[in-house]
Amino acid sequence: MKNNNDILKWFDNELSEQEFLELKQTENLEILEKIAHYAKHMQAPEVDAQAALTAFRNRKLRKKSPKVITFNFNTVLKIAAILVVMLTSSYFLFFNNDVNFETEIAQTETLTLPDGSEVILNAASKLHYSKKEWQSNRLLDLDGEAFFKVQKGEKFTVNTSAGTVQVLGTQFNVKKRTGYFEVQCYEGLVAVNYNSKIVKLSPGKSFRVVDNTIQLVDDFKAEIPSWLQEESSFDNVPLGEVLKELQRQYSIIVTLQNVDESVLFKGAFTHKNLEIALKSITIPLDLNYKIEGKHVVLSKK
Amino acid sequence: MESNENKLCEETYFNTFYLQHVQSASNFAYYKCGDSDSALDFVQDAFSKIWENCSKIDFTKAKSYLFTTINHLFLNKVKHAKVVMQYAKAVPYIDQTNESPEYILQEEEFKKKLQDAIALLTEAQREVFLLNRIEGKKYREIAELLGVSQKAVEKRMSGALKVLREHIENI
Repeated sequence: MKNNNDILKWFDNELSEQEFLELKQTENLEILEKIAHYAKHMQAPEVDAQAALTAFRNRKLRKKSPKVITFNFNTVLKIAAILVVMLTSSYFLFFNNDVNFETEIAQTETLTLPDGSEVILNAASKLHYSKKEWQSNRLLDLDGEAFFKVQKGEKFTVNTSAGTVQVLGTQFNVKKRTGYFEVQCYEGLVAVNYNSKIVKLSPGKSFRVVDNTIQLVDDFKAEIPSWLQEESSFDNVPLGEVLKELQRQYSIIVTLQNVDESVLFKGAFTHKNLEIALKSITIPLDLNYKIEGKHVVLSKK
Repeated sequence: MESNENKLCEETYFNTFYLQHVQSASNFAYYKCGDSDSALDFVQDAFSKIWENCSKIDFTKAKSYLFTTINHLFLNKVKHAKVVMQYAKAVPYIDQTNESPEYILQEEEFKKKLQDAIALLTEAQREVFLLNRIEGKKYREIAELLGVSQKAVEKRMSGALKVLREHIENI
């Protein structure tokens, strides 16, 4: 075994003279010496390097150009933009805490708020609130008309562009239309903040603002707003506002011919039948009406 | 070092590289296949691969890439000739003082036996043995060239010596 290793070392030129002599003592190296000697003088056929190179060059090889992907700032921007869009859209999809409701003309909708309070949204109205902040702050934005049945709890605030309504736990109706703001309290106590004045309403009381003037309104006896029973009732409300409500409940356009808008109307109209509704408005005011498709013309008799 | 980057793709550098290694590469191929024409073919093919992929190959590793490629190309080719190594012209005898015809005849006979014996080696043994003997390469260098461990080279070498010795003794 040691000899084998020494022989290997000898062929690798790593064996010292001394070691070689020792190895010679123990083994007959005659053949190996000859092998080592003569094998050294073998040779592979010589290659004419220049000729081979010329032949090689004649192969007409094509360099494979490496695929170089240049660092393109635009690509990075594109990817970044896609990421931003994806992240924001997923944020809005999955973490959207803003709740929006909107009703069309002649449509009402009943909503239940996170605390169990109920909102009934009248036609052509918008409601918005934040789910996330609801626990700490019961705050709604309203544009239009809605009836609220509020569960007892923290302050409940309805924000409109005309004024703010605050309650603790009651039932009340808020109507905010262009040039018209009305709050009606059906149960409990409602505080209306209008132009930094606070008006407190007990059940049966109304607070109404028409064209920026506060109006005194008689107490009402209804337990729920009339529009919940598919009827709109008015207590000395200008005809213009009545007709606006009519247009919200029926998809029509009303035009007046020689009729004064500010005439006060006391009564109600149904949401179920346009003819009957028009009659209930025109007869008490002694007017004529004419229906031409979507257009309704009111005129003096 | 950076200035040497992709030097292989420069024609002048490549030509130098080619001229420098074409002989040893074709020797290597010849030890394997024993046919000078196909040996040169292997070498040319291997150089082609290097040229075509010059941009992907680290020029410091080009040499070992060359030998590895020849090895692979050879392995792909199943058929190969019996490897009979030729001697250089005018080989000095071991005992240069002995000029008796008897001794010369005996030595010539030995040379013939050695040729036969080398043809009997496996490719792995032969390439190691010849690289060591003819090219005078250390086992470490051979291992590097073939991409195997030095231990493996030593094993092949000792196997080669055993086969050669037995064959020559037996005749």
